Amino acid sequence: MSNRGQSQYLRIYDNSQTYVRWQAYYINQTITLDSASWSYNPFNADGMMAGSPAGSDVTITVPATTTAISVFKAALNNNRLCEIKMYEFDTRLSQSAPISTQSLIATYVGEVSKISGNFTELSINLSSALSPVGAQVPPRKFTTLLIGAPVRL
Amino acid sequence: MSIQIRDPLALLPYQSGLVTTITEEGAAKGQSPLDSRQKAAVIGEPIPIVFCRRVSSNGGVLVSPAATEGRYENNSTTNVLTTKIHLVLSEGDMDQLPIKDVFQRACRVGTWAQTYDRRAETWDPGNFIVAVATKKFWNCPLYCGTQGTYDNMTTLSFINTHDDGSELWDRQVHCFVRNGINVTRILDDITGPSNNVIDLALYLITQSSRFPSSMVDLTMMEDAALFCNVNGLFYNGEFKESTNLEDWLQSISSDFLLRVSDKNGKKGLRPRLQTNANGTIKTTAIEPVFTFTEDHVIIESFEIDYISLENRKAITALVLWRQQPDSDIGIIRSAEIRMTGLADNGPLEQYDLSQFCATEDHAVKVGTYRVASRYYVTHTLRIRVAPSSFNATLIVGDVVRVRLRRETNVGTVSYHNHFYEVERIARAISGVISLDLIHFPVDSQNRSLVGLAVNAAVGNGYTVPTGRTDFTCDIAGRAVDNTPLPDVGETISPINDPPVETDPAELGNEPDAGPTDPVDNPEDPLDEPEPSYPSGPNPGVTGVSDPPKEGETANAVPPCPGGKVCWYRVTKSLVADIEEARTTTNRTLIQCETLGTSGWEAGASLVLTNDDIDHYIIAEATCPDPSSPDGFGEPSLIGITEPAEPDIYSYTYVRWTGTITPATGAAYQVTTPFAMFFAGVVALRGLWGCGQDIEFNQNNAASFETTVPPTGAVSPWRASVITTNKTTNPTGVYALGGFASPCFGSGPGSQIPGTAFGGTVEGRVISVIGNWEFSNNGVDVITQWEGTTGNEQGP
Repeated sequence: MSNRGQSQYLRIYDNSQTYVRWQAYYINQTITLDSASWSYNPFNADGMMAGSPAGSDVTITVPATTTAISVFKAALNNNRLCEIKMYEFDTRLSQSAPISTQSLIATYVGEVSKISGNFTELSINLSSALSPVGAQVPPRKFTTLLIGAPVRL
Repeated sequence: MSIQIRDPLALLPYQSGLVTTITEEGAAKGQSPLDSRQKAAVIGEPIPIVFCRRVSSNGGVLVSPAATEGRYENNSTTNVLTTKIHLVLSEGDMDQLPIKDVFQRACRVGTWAQTYDRRAETWDPGNFIVAVATKKFWNCPLYCGTQGTYDNMTTLSFINTHDDGSELWDRQVHCFVRNGINVTRILDDITGPSNNVIDLALYLITQSSRFPSSMVDLTMMEDAALFCNVNGLFYNGEFKESTNLEDWLQSISSDFLLRVSDKNGKKGLRPRLQTNANGTIKTTAIEPVFTFTEDHVIIESFEIDYISLENRKAITALVLWRQQPDSDIGIIRSAEIRMTGLADNGPLEQYDLSQFCATEDHAVKVGTYRVASRYYVTHTLRIRVAPSSFNATLIVGDVVRVRLRRETNVGTVSYHNHFYEVERIARAISGVISLDLIHFPVDSQNRSLVGLAVNAAVGNGYTVPTGRTDFTCDIAGRAVDNTPLPDVGETISPINDPPVETDPAELGNEPDAGPTDPVDNPEDPLDEPEPSYPSGPNPGVTGVSDPPKEGETANAVPPCPGGKVCWYRVTKSLVADIEEARTTTNRTLIQCETLGTSGWEAGASLVLTNDDIDHYIIAEATCPDPSSPDGFGEPSLIGITEPAEPDIYSYTYVRWTGTITPATGAAYQVTTPFAMFFAGVVALRGLWGCGQDIEFNQNNAASFETTVPPTGAVSPWRASVITTNKTTNPTGVYALGGFASPCFGSGPGSQIPGTAFGGTVEGRVISVIGNWEFSNNGVDVITQWEGTTGNEQGP
């Protein structure tokens, strides 16, 4: 247990491109993982849960830097996805860069569904935009455009 | 800091769908009214989705579509009525129906057309009924509808004739749909009709646009689709009741032995039972993927919750389903499922699957799962475990074993030893993993008891006859006519009711853009920044000399109308300089003056008196503040003067009074006689004059160090000095003392007795500390003055 380290990685992306890759373990370093560069930005993702009931949220806490505000507001405005990955590794092997033998122990993908916080700290909720209330299916309704003014029987 | 709160463990059976609460039982929802009046579509109603696929003579659904337009006309002679109605069958596209599958009431009659994405047929709606003598008047609808675009819908046109006096002209139209809308089937990736509920779920998720398809776990969904397919759990129904997608997923998953689950944040459905790779229910021994023992479970994290009695009590499950004959109305059936010997006389718990379940085995398996789960699954468990080798491999749905040693009897060891299905995994940053587990009952061969029960459950296979005996209302030959309905229709130009759109390309695409102009708030006197303090001599104060003199009138202007100006004096000797005088609280109020809202620009005035001599004069302003108890806000300093001096031109006599501390010997007090002076300089004298001679020996300045005033100062009107001889001068004696007016000439003055260093001794200090006192009659002291103390030149 004492040699077990956990690192977290955050990626914001959509169908066309990746916007940021952050890691929160190797302080002030840009490291390479999966052939991509991950810059250091402190964040803290908690509540990663799998199972039933579906719809659990993950909360990310970040300093309210100009960059963070810009990144997450853009993600919220544009329905971008945020992926969190948690790796486990032996801290005795390296503290300066990810090691090839590290294990992926948790992954979470969600939409940036809510941002709150204060002037110095932001909390970002990741979940689906699927509202637990409100009628949603069948998705389409009879409208005047579709059927005109229907017959009155 | 965020606080993670876990749901109580007692909720787990409900959240996982293991326990369901039936709050309402009633008539089967899949029942179709056959001989009723034709229903009309209403704006705002959901557009129905007909989702079915008839396979091996099983499946399909009888649909009663709603009318959107009608045309009614009669023969002016025979009064034969021709009705034409336009109907919406379903959202989406579907194969052409065979003519044997379309009805009015239970009869295969009329002329039909079917099309997609446009209006069926080309007739115009309207009421063209005319009265015919001696015939019954057709009381047909007057509001016959207008045309729409019918975008992405399957539409029908039905035309029929009715003899004079018929009462069947307004009867409901029905369609037996064998193959519903075309979707992309997840199992074979082919676009076509489907009876797999996973395909419907994916269709609804996609069409509702509520979350991106990339957040759906397609691998999990494919496994679930395979499970449904292999085990005969099919969806054949018309989906038309508006509901919440999440609720629908939760509800429908239970009826297909599935459960809604998250995996890595992605949503999906997964089987409630352990399955083999081919989707069949696993009936062989279960091998747990990990066994948790005392080595893994964190102390006191073991939490167990036994399922309550009301949810364990044996029941008979009454599952309603729909027997769907070929090309006929569905017959609602019920299947009773119970554990042998238990709940023979109830209680009954009803599960209504009749809207979509068209196979008996499906109903029986769902019922068996319910009763077997009640019978076998006894508890749920929550443990927190330290991370270990399972960390990277354990996933939701895995079966694990928990084996914990219990020693409560001497010499006897027992174990908490059960299989569990992992229902929830929560990982904390600390590395601790919290597992929510559901009891997974197994037999002596480690086979799943619930799985065995469900796998073995099959229906009786009994087919209930429809009871229909009369087919004479059908047009001859229609019952076996597989001719597809003709695809005839017209595209209607969009009517003038399009969606109202706002174009961000015109307004700006950035929803969070800020204003580009600088801050331009109205002036708020209470919110003004602190004014910068004025500089220069007597900063902020006008009307006085530098330094100010008694008798002059000082003036200071506040920064706001209606303000108040207060004047203070600060004793010169109590502060080091003017900067300290600004901030010290050791000051004395002289006077305050409140200014009006007009004329305030002239400022407030103060006439300096001899009380102000040797004092810094401070002007402080406060602006009106209605929120303050006294009506004024925080004061701010607006001006300050140098220490005031006397107006020496208004006096005739001056004298010096003070203390002399000689180089040797005790200090002594001296007050000189008054001396008349001209309007010139008066100062202490040294050996060689006054003023410029204040270092006492300008011919040998290096020999002395003067601490007050600074070395080298030229200080007329100085009343105090301290000096030290820094070297010996065996040729003479240097002395301090005397004053003269005017200050010229040489030699020691006569009025103040001189005091000498003694030229042969180095480092001796002489101190002369005193004040000037002024009088106009040579007797009465009018005012006192410390004299100059710095480099100033004096009055």
